[in-house]
Amino acid sequence: MASPWCWSCLSPLRTPRAILPSSTTTTRITTAGFHSTAVQYAMPAKKNKNSITQLKYRQGQTLRRKKKKATENRARPPAIGERKAMRKRIVLSNPNALEVEGMQELSPETMIDNRLRGSVLGLPVTMLDQLRAVQAFKPRQGWNIFRRPGTVLRRDALELGQLFEKISGDDPAEKGKVVRKIITGPKGSGKTVHLLQAAAMGFLKNWVVITVPDAYELVSGTTSYSPIEGSNPPQYVQPNATSALLKRTVEANSKVLESLKVSQKHAGLENLKPTMTLKDLAQLGLGDAALSWPVFQALWAELTATSPAPGMENGFQSRPPTLVTVDGLSHWMTKTAYRAEDYSFVHPHDLVFVQHFLSLLKSDKPTLKNGGMLLYATSTSNNPSSYSLEVGLDQMIARQDGVSPTSPDYPAPEAYSNADPRVLELFKPTAASGKEGVLELQTLGGLTREETRGYLEYFAQSGLLRENINEKWVSERWSLSGGGIIGELEKLGRHVSAPAKLAQPTPDVE
Amino acid sequence: MARHAPNGIVQAMQLLRLQGTPYRRVIPSLRPTARFYATETEPQTPSTEALPEQTAEPQLEVRPAPEINFAKFQQRPARIVPASRAYFSGNPRFIDHVLNLEHLQQKYASLPQVPAGEAPRMAWFKLAQFRDFVGEAVPVKKYRSLLKLLQQLNRIEPGIAPQEVRTAISVFLRPGNPYAKEHTPREVDENGCARAKGKRKTSTAVVQLVEGEGEVLVNGRSIVDVFPRVDDREKALWALRSTERIDKYNVWVRVHGGGSTGQAEAITLAIGRALMLHEPGLKPVLRKAGAITVDARRVERKKPGHVKARKMPTWVKR
Amino acid sequence: MVFILGVNFPERNLLKKSLQSFFGIGNDTSSRLLARFNIHPTCRVGELANKQVLDLTAVLSEMKIENDLRREVLNDIKRLKETGTYRGRRHALGLPVRGQRTRTQIKTPVKLNRMERRL
Repeated sequence: MASPWCWSCLSPLRTPRAILPSSTTTTRITTAGFHSTAVQYAMPAKKNKNSITQLKYRQGQTLRRKKKKATENRARPPAIGERKAMRKRIVLSNPNALEVEGMQELSPETMIDNRLRGSVLGLPVTMLDQLRAVQAFKPRQGWNIFRRPGTVLRRDALELGQLFEKISGDDPAEKGKVVRKIITGPKGSGKTVHLLQAAAMGFLKNWVVITVPDAYELVSGTTSYSPIEGSNPPQYVQPNATSALLKRTVEANSKVLESLKVSQKHAGLENLKPTMTLKDLAQLGLGDAALSWPVFQALWAELTATSPAPGMENGFQSRPPTLVTVDGLSHWMTKTAYRAEDYSFVHPHDLVFVQHFLSLLKSDKPTLKNGGMLLYATSTSNNPSSYSLEVGLDQMIARQDGVSPTSPDYPAPEAYSNADPRVLELFKPTAASGKEGVLELQTLGGLTREETRGYLEYFAQSGLLRENINEKWVSERWSLSGGGIIGELEKLGRHVSAPAKLAQPTPDVE
Repeated sequence: MARHAPNGIVQAMQLLRLQGTPYRRVIPSLRPTARFYATETEPQTPSTEALPEQTAEPQLEVRPAPEINFAKFQQRPARIVPASRAYFSGNPRFIDHVLNLEHLQQKYASLPQVPAGEAPRMAWFKLAQFRDFVGEAVPVKKYRSLLKLLQQLNRIEPGIAPQEVRTAISVFLRPGNPYAKEHTPREVDENGCARAKGKRKTSTAVVQLVEGEGEVLVNGRSIVDVFPRVDDREKALWALRSTERIDKYNVWVRVHGGGSTGQAEAITLAIGRALMLHEPGLKPVLRKAGAITVDARRVERKKPGHVKARKMPTWVKR
Repeated sequence: MVFILGVNFPERNLLKKSLQSFFGIGNDTSSRLLARFNIHPTCRVGELANKQVLDLTAVLSEMKIENDLRREVLNDIKRLKETGTYRGRRHALGLPVRGQRTRTQIKTPVKLNRMERRL
């Protein structure tokens, strides 16, 4: 056997493993192969089992007790879909709230009455079903704290009412105009309720109201999509979403649609008869989702028709103006959750549904030939960041301020910012042609003090507020709500707070 | 220094003996004209003594020592005496100062004094500064007693305080007397804008308050953006709310640090202070409302050995 | 109930999760399958058209999944062992194969790595 010492340097040599007596069975290695400490430290003597502290590697020295078992909740979980239904439930009335006396209703007369500015107008009860059908109400808008739903007639609402009046009025210069607006504003400034007011006014004026209550649903990948054959680059229809749109439109506008007859020939829908009403036409798409997109196109063509096709003249009535509202516009300016066949994300503008509504924003071609209004609102509660949209909106602001698109002050996307050219293309200036108005940007702000007062008085009359409503108190609420932001005012109105009054310095105290 | 030196008479004798030896020639210029050692008789004038010496040298004549002039004889200490009597104490310079001041105090004890509150406010040296000044490690307690002396001297009626005392005191003043500066009260500036600062926890708020319609901007944003909670907003504007001035002023705030509570309450304090500049009469109301009361609490630091600031780890047997 | 590759799936189940129940299909493969047939990611099994079911089944039957894949994996391990490689030995010993530390945290290989690996 070789010497265990190295004779040149007198240091112990490691014994080669090969000459160690090999064990017959391979034992499981329970400790590491290399140790700098003796084996006894690696395997310390076991401590007494009933000791409460059995310290392990790197454990603290603190006392550890066994946790108590959480008591099991044996209640039955809610049924499938029940939670979501509760979440989405919209309650429009509260029997505990007081009836507001002398409350006026929204009507074609009141919606343009400047004297009523700042007062809360009730939505007509007969219209509520229509508004529900177009999903104009959203949960958490505070409808459930009043006896009946009502909205403030603020300045923007009055202007909206006047636009409705003009477009469906008799003045030939204004009649049949198309107003396009993008509505922005800080959180709680009433953008969605503005759309609701527009829908209500549309119903009052017997317009056709078409709404997209949540733009997110079309791009979030929760509804089916299928490519249009032969389209290059591939475009996609969303049959179920279109069918839902038709359902909303039919339910809300049945009275108008029933009075109108089919007047055009439509490819793909051969079994149409001239005696069918537009409601019948729309209902074709409800049953068969595959048909829904052609049906919607046919319905759109009918609504924008100015004259009947040859051979279908009998009973043609002129079409009413159309209101289109979209809520949550920025979702249509980012990528979708849908994937193309090559696993790339589908651009939202490749969805024909989205593309149809976005193409209406361009004013160079006649879109709504019978006049109407396009209100597309951004959202702040569910808002994906879209740099291209921000640039586009900035450009619109600049144009409204009179900055020429060729001037260096005109906002442009930053270099290397990867802005989406298709989105920027949408916001390029287009000339107004005929009655097509150019795209405008409307920014909703806070209420004025008078409007604030009217709104808060409505709370008081409904029994929600106990305070004396005077000028000072209203001003205080106005400041606290960031300058009359209506969503914040609503929070303050229902917020029960201790009165913030402290005695003024009285002479006898000093 | 404390070397033993022979006394005067012995030295005189020695000197004579040395002069008398024939083997040692002393060059007169090298001969010391004055003694380094302390004890001796008054030295005779060298000129009168040296000349006959030189002439007399070759004759090796023995002459008697000159008579000691006891009239001129003066007793001097036998060693070097330090200038200060406190030399052998631990901190002589300090004690010198104390003795000097005590001397002054006794000297002018009869002068009229003003009450402590009316004496001119003086910024004496801080202990560390004083230690640097005297160059000695003065104990705290002793420095306090010195300060007491200084304060007593300072209380001498300012009109008649002697120059001696004033100069003695002024030695102990910090450079750049902080009490000499006049406090200038803050005011609303020429644009009608009152500025004030408030702090709470780790937040700092700077408020500019102008007369207006009740608009509020925090860091350039709406107050709703900055404080989503209603409570925080109410807190931030509490100074204006409690005085019912919310619709009379516009507020512009810069706030940084801390969280929403700290920021809101820092704004409260800052607005309260700024409002006092506009309307000083509101001070009692603001004080009562707690809008200008500073909350000086801060988070206590965590200590080693503790789990938190004060919490100790649970004690475990073994 | 919908038959996909001989397995019966309840209609309420998510299609993506159902596909992932096959051995050899994970998150990525299932998403790619859905994208290939233009099925949206939150599709339920019951929403599938007949043609889509047939298409899916056809593609799945072409893929090496389930027992074919299991057999292949086992054969690979066996081959490693038979050629006397280190990896094969580690499989047989029930130890980590890819150079992980063995001082601690080897419960999973101890449990799973065998000659006849459980899959």
